[in-house]
Amino acid sequence: MERYLSIGGSFLRRQYAPHLLVTLLFCGMSGFFVSFRNLDAFQAAKVMEMYVAFVGILLMTPLFLPEQNQEIWLLEKSKAMPLWKQYLIRLLIAAMFLIIVVTVFCQMMKQGNSQFDGKELWCGSLCEIFFLGSIGFFVSGITNQIVLGYMVSVVYYFANIGASKYLGEFALFQMMRGDYDFLVPMILTAFFLVTSGIVLRERTWKKR
Amino acid sequence: MFGTLFQKECKQILRSMVYYLYVVIFVMFLSSQLGEVVTADLERPEPGQESYGSVSSHEESAVMEKVLAGLVLETYRNSYATYPMGFYRGVTLNETELAEVTSIIEYCTGKNWEEILKSMEEHFSQSDQSAIEGAMQAQITYSVAPKDGLSYEEFCEKMEKICKMIGAGSSYTQKHLDAGVGVPMTYEQAVDEFEALCEKDRITGAIARLFCDYAGIILAILPVFLGVTRCLRDKRAKVSQVVFSHEASAVQIVGSRYLANVCMAFLPVVITIFVMQMPYQYHAKTMGIGPDVFAFLKYSVIWLLPEIMIVLAVSFFITELTENVISIFVQVFWAIGSLFSGGSLHGGFGLHLVARWNMLGGTNEFWNQRQELLLNRGYYFIGAILFLGLTFIFYEKKRREGETVYGKIFKHRR
Repeated sequence: MERYLSIGGSFLRRQYAPHLLVTLLFCGMSGFFVSFRNLDAFQAAKVMEMYVAFVGILLMTPLFLPEQNQEIWLLEKSKAMPLWKQYLIRLLIAAMFLIIVVTVFCQMMKQGNSQFDGKELWCGSLCEIFFLGSIGFFVSGITNQIVLGYMVSVVYYFANIGASKYLGEFALFQMMRGDYDFLVPMILTAFFLVTSGIVLRERTWKKR
Repeated sequence: MFGTLFQKECKQILRSMVYYLYVVIFVMFLSSQLGEVVTADLERPEPGQESYGSVSSHEESAVMEKVLAGLVLETYRNSYATYPMGFYRGVTLNETELAEVTSIIEYCTGKNWEEILKSMEEHFSQSDQSAIEGAMQAQITYSVAPKDGLSYEEFCEKMEKICKMIGAGSSYTQKHLDAGVGVPMTYEQAVDEFEALCEKDRITGAIARLFCDYAGIILAILPVFLGVTRCLRDKRAKVSQVVFSHEASAVQIVGSRYLANVCMAFLPVVITIFVMQMPYQYHAKTMGIGPDVFAFLKYSVIWLLPEIMIVLAVSFFITELTENVISIFVQVFWAIGSLFSGGSLHGGFGLHLVARWNMLGGTNEFWNQRQELLLNRGYYFIGAILFLGLTFIFYEKKRREGETVYGKIFKHRR
């Protein structure tokens, strides 16, 4: 347990801190862009889907950042602990921050006298944000290029503004239409993307 | 030296996966928006048509009618659009505030809220709301008449009260009222507009504007990925020190990289617009109008090239400074802010990064605002040169060991 904590702490301090700072800044500035007062269920969903969704990209895409340096990667490979365990620790840290952000935003809207089903919105938002983040995680994992991860996830977000009808169950912004049927397929796909991202990364880059 | 470096950079970009994704996303986005050839708006208007579109008006009575109409719609939805920091922010009022807004509307119109709602529903039920054209037409023609004897000054005072409840940056501020409103166009105005389209734009000019409008949205973000990838490539390949020791100056190294990225980012833009405007050249000829065959080049160079330049220059500067991907967040934030802060979908260029003209035509109005667009693009062109200059200085500083520790700005970080 101590080793896991040490790995997590080291990642937080050395690589993840600037990204957490950007996320904090992004959340702190939310008052300029979205209102938390007197919202109904659709308006509350809009805040989560249009604004908070970005947190998924900010927190999950840079999880392979340490391995951008080949020497660190080689050093990690030489250790007894398998790399997938390290990735999982980072993923847990990101998921923890995601949960905190989603809970804080839901709570802020409740405090602003907004009327919505808290449990439904919390689950839906977390699922959607995790899914969007998992796209960035998957792409940056298999290509070993963080920039590509950001590019694909940002473009996916924008593609949903005009072309969500072509994306079926995987379209974002469904809660804004009062539709919550996407939860199961989306969360399963997110887990699939995360798992296959790690597995494919390990296989693709094994010989390097 | 510069030429050789430039060629090498272009070849490197051509080997980059990010570049091919850039091209694919750009072409897909443009095809989805402009895939179909639109010729319906390029026909001479006929007398007695149901609608001829809209035109801007500053008449006090028209301003009161349209502003009241907007207020009724927003109050009905209890969702007010505001731009407090230049970005869109929807505001919802509580019961007491809503009742106060309703009483102001009742005072301004001399009618009770139920009557106003009834006439609004009647108006919107007359057109097909499921079709975009029907919904747009209903929106353009909807107006709420103020009561007899309501002066413009008194109306402005009431709107100020509403602004206080909704918050800063609403559509009811004096600045917005002074900017005028959109009113339905008459047949004579529509004929004038069509003639300007044929004489000034020669058809292809209008198409090029619409292309630049859509392309401008995606180009506010996409080039940043090319810039960040290029700047981080040396670090990833661990050749930063080798490049630092190269005999070429920072201007030659960074300048060739920047120029290669600008050229390669602009290349698919020119090719796509050239291909997309071909059917319209043919259509202009069938109408007996000599098309402006270089319109696509003129518009894309003036409208889109400065945008690509500033996005790449800012990404080069931030990435060289931080050696991190932080520039992506800055650019996405800037692009979204610019996109949602405009308010108007055509014109009002100001200093927005994304210049919008989301209509086929509007020639006279565009030519009136052309100066503003040129100033806007000139501002970003100069901004790009300044940021590039700063990047040269910073890169040179990084090369001289001792002033920064291996190029890192956080000297004491381990």
